[in-house]
Amino acid sequence: MTNDQSDKTFHPSRRGFLGVAAATGAASLAPSALIGTAATTAALAEASEPPSFHAVDASASTIAAKLPSPVPGYLSFGPDEAGFVEVMVNVMCPADALTPGGVDCGLAAYIDRQLAGGFGKGARLYMRGPWREGKPELGYQLPLTPEQFFKAGLAAADAACRKRNGMAFSELDESGADRFLHEIADGKVTDERVQLASWFNELVYPLFEQACFADPIYGGNVGKVFWKAIGYPGLPAVHSRDMIDFRGKQFPGAADPKSIADFA
Amino acid sequence: MATRLKHRTVVFVGGGLTAALAARQLTTKGVDVVVLERGIDRTHTAATSLPSQRDELRWDVHGDLFQDWSVQTYTLRHNDGETALPIRRLQAFTPGEGMGGAANHWNGQTWRWSESDPVLRTHLENRYGKKAIPAEMAIQDWGITYAEMESYHDQFEKLFGIAGKAGNLRGKVQEGGNPFEAPRQNEFPQKPLPITEAGVIFSEATKKLGYKPFPMPAANSPEAYTNPDGMQLGQCQFCGHCERFVCEANAKASPEVLLYPMLRMRKSFELRLEAHVLDILHDRTAKRVRGVRYIDRVTGEEYEQPADVVVLSSFTMSNTKFLLMAGIGTPYNPKTGHGVVGKNFCHQTMSGTRVFFKDRWINPFLASGASQTVIDEFNGDNFDHSGLGFFGGGYIYANVTNGRPITSRAVPPGTPKWGSTWKKANADWYAHNFTISAHGSWYPHRENYVDLDPTYVDAYGQPLLRMTFDIRENERKMSVYLSKKIDEIAKATGADIAPPTAPRKGPYDSRVYQTTHVTGGTIMGSDPGTSVVSPHLQHWDAENLFVVGASVYPFNAGYNPTGPLGALALRLGDDLNDYVARPRHL
Repeated sequence: MTNDQSDKTFHPSRRGFLGVAAATGAASLAPSALIGTAATTAALAEASEPPSFHAVDASASTIAAKLPSPVPGYLSFGPDEAGFVEVMVNVMCPADALTPGGVDCGLAAYIDRQLAGGFGKGARLYMRGPWREGKPELGYQLPLTPEQFFKAGLAAADAACRKRNGMAFSELDESGADRFLHEIADGKVTDERVQLASWFNELVYPLFEQACFADPIYGGNVGKVFWKAIGYPGLPAVHSRDMIDFRGKQFPGAADPKSIADFA
Repeated sequence: MATRLKHRTVVFVGGGLTAALAARQLTTKGVDVVVLERGIDRTHTAATSLPSQRDELRWDVHGDLFQDWSVQTYTLRHNDGETALPIRRLQAFTPGEGMGGAANHWNGQTWRWSESDPVLRTHLENRYGKKAIPAEMAIQDWGITYAEMESYHDQFEKLFGIAGKAGNLRGKVQEGGNPFEAPRQNEFPQKPLPITEAGVIFSEATKKLGYKPFPMPAANSPEAYTNPDGMQLGQCQFCGHCERFVCEANAKASPEVLLYPMLRMRKSFELRLEAHVLDILHDRTAKRVRGVRYIDRVTGEEYEQPADVVVLSSFTMSNTKFLLMAGIGTPYNPKTGHGVVGKNFCHQTMSGTRVFFKDRWINPFLASGASQTVIDEFNGDNFDHSGLGFFGGGYIYANVTNGRPITSRAVPPGTPKWGSTWKKANADWYAHNFTISAHGSWYPHRENYVDLDPTYVDAYGQPLLRMTFDIRENERKMSVYLSKKIDEIAKATGADIAPPTAPRKGPYDSRVYQTTHVTGGTIMGSDPGTSVVSPHLQHWDAENLFVVGASVYPFNAGYNPTGPLGALALRLGDDLNDYVARPRHL
């Protein structure tokens, strides 16, 4: 995986499966109110429905309007930190045909909750000294909890941004913010005390990916919007028949994924 | 001051797979057994219940079933000249914690190793000459043969309901199985799992190249299954939550499903949970062990558990650490090559590529831990190594076990890391790619070993185990060779995108998962000068101490380690029955 900014992504013809049933796309992105075993039954019933992901004509605003709101408020972030993170997730996940912007997808809420919870406080992390700098292959070696490291890096990145661009990160326009994040990821922005590339690539970026793709119960991936976008069917994942019936075929259940809350 | 408990016959340190299998043999004969396990029983917890079992973040990313690194981790350096640092969140391998150990969160890939593996040094010397094996490659024979283990393999496969297709029945090669398989007396107890779409593509490609693909032997039960003990497995749901998860459908053969519930009904068996063993009590002059000291994690009280026999049945790392801490056996010295405890530490040499198909539905979420299709042409010594400059090899396979979206999702190389193009690439390719991997061997190197770290301690104040460890020339060369074979297969699949495979290189990286198959440290052999335990897994320097686990493997093969582990543990159970009846050097 590279951080290459230039878009060398393969764009093969997707006629085979891309444009199918685009008309039903937006409707199928509506959050499911189904619960318990009813969800399973509905998922099975919908197996005969036309596939609806890759809904190319669903506009971002249509999707956003149908999604539940992310949990409001922050547990860990102060206002400046929230401002930084909100701009960052909106740049990394811009509103488009697949999902609304990052904040509306719950990505900032997810990161805040993770930092405020066990992960952020260093659960399962060996936190005894002595503390020494080590080779990258030895992994994280700082006496900071992930929450503390996140904030130290954020402050350093913001200071570097002011120096470089004459304004706070949250004041940059979208392309400026995107360029700055790439510069951090590529190791072009440095700070005397914080290794910003490692901060971004090893802490921030994994949190961003988790925010997109973890179960919505954690606050991100609101309305299972990322699961719908890629066609991950989620729960209950009882596939002993599907595995035979849909070997090599488009899996209809992927259009309407279920998450933990649907079975609560 | 530790409270001294009532004397017991056999005490096991660690309640995973091997303890359960050996205890099965012992308690069948009514021998008194107590198993001390530091973790809990997860049978009726969030780990084993829907919907929480399907939580990728909790069980996979955060590793809630694994050893808690805040309590105990390992240190790492790449050579003797460096200062080792603690791996603060280990990702390279995933030891378990709790009743059943790592065998609860395994994938279920259940191999017998090659017939030549238990006699590897002899075999390679006979085929390539004594001089062909480099001095720094400390491979050695196990002191037992495959033939001696065959019936135990058979028993283990029946107990665990292994699904597969025989490739070699009593010396006759079978169509559809692994033609390189060691001869087996019986067919697998269950028919193979159904093939995945990735398997179909892989089969076509490998057949085109003249190879013989076959289904991975699997502990994921294709149907409801009742084993010879009357214990039952459910049907695999192909849910894609196998490795790193406990199976909520009881369809993955594991000690938590098949062994401990049965053992706990037996009168002579006791499982003591949340019992963290601190020390082996050693009587140096008598050359015996007296029992163990442990802490009850619920009360914080310390206990001494005296026993006639102590069996170390914990993870590779802990087995070695207990011996080093008790000073039983001579620690290995890499400078002189003398000493045995901690030597021949090995891992697995993995490499692979992703193949992307715009018009084929791979549906990676329709898979289980071992529903894979494999070729074995380039494993072990199944091919001529003359002039290659390395020994060992690996199986190559269509490696789809799940479609979990945080960790298993992939986009073609060159895709930006975020933004709309990134999102679209995920949407376009998520269901349309799979990995072709090589699961390669790792042969011991003189400079790869484990000992006690001089600086860092665990939550109990005890030293961490230190790995002095790197991927050496033999494995690097092998990985280059296997990676080329992967690329040939990837090309033959007709994939739209098939990036070249990156061979494994140094330095050894604690941040990247390989497999959980770390081996060695308390190796077996027939010479006390070069091994820790005898071929009966009895410690050479303490007659009533036994060690079982992958820590006894003198090297790591290109196969997953669980098959021989099951066989060795069952055999150990029989040996312990013999020993308890008449204690002696077996």
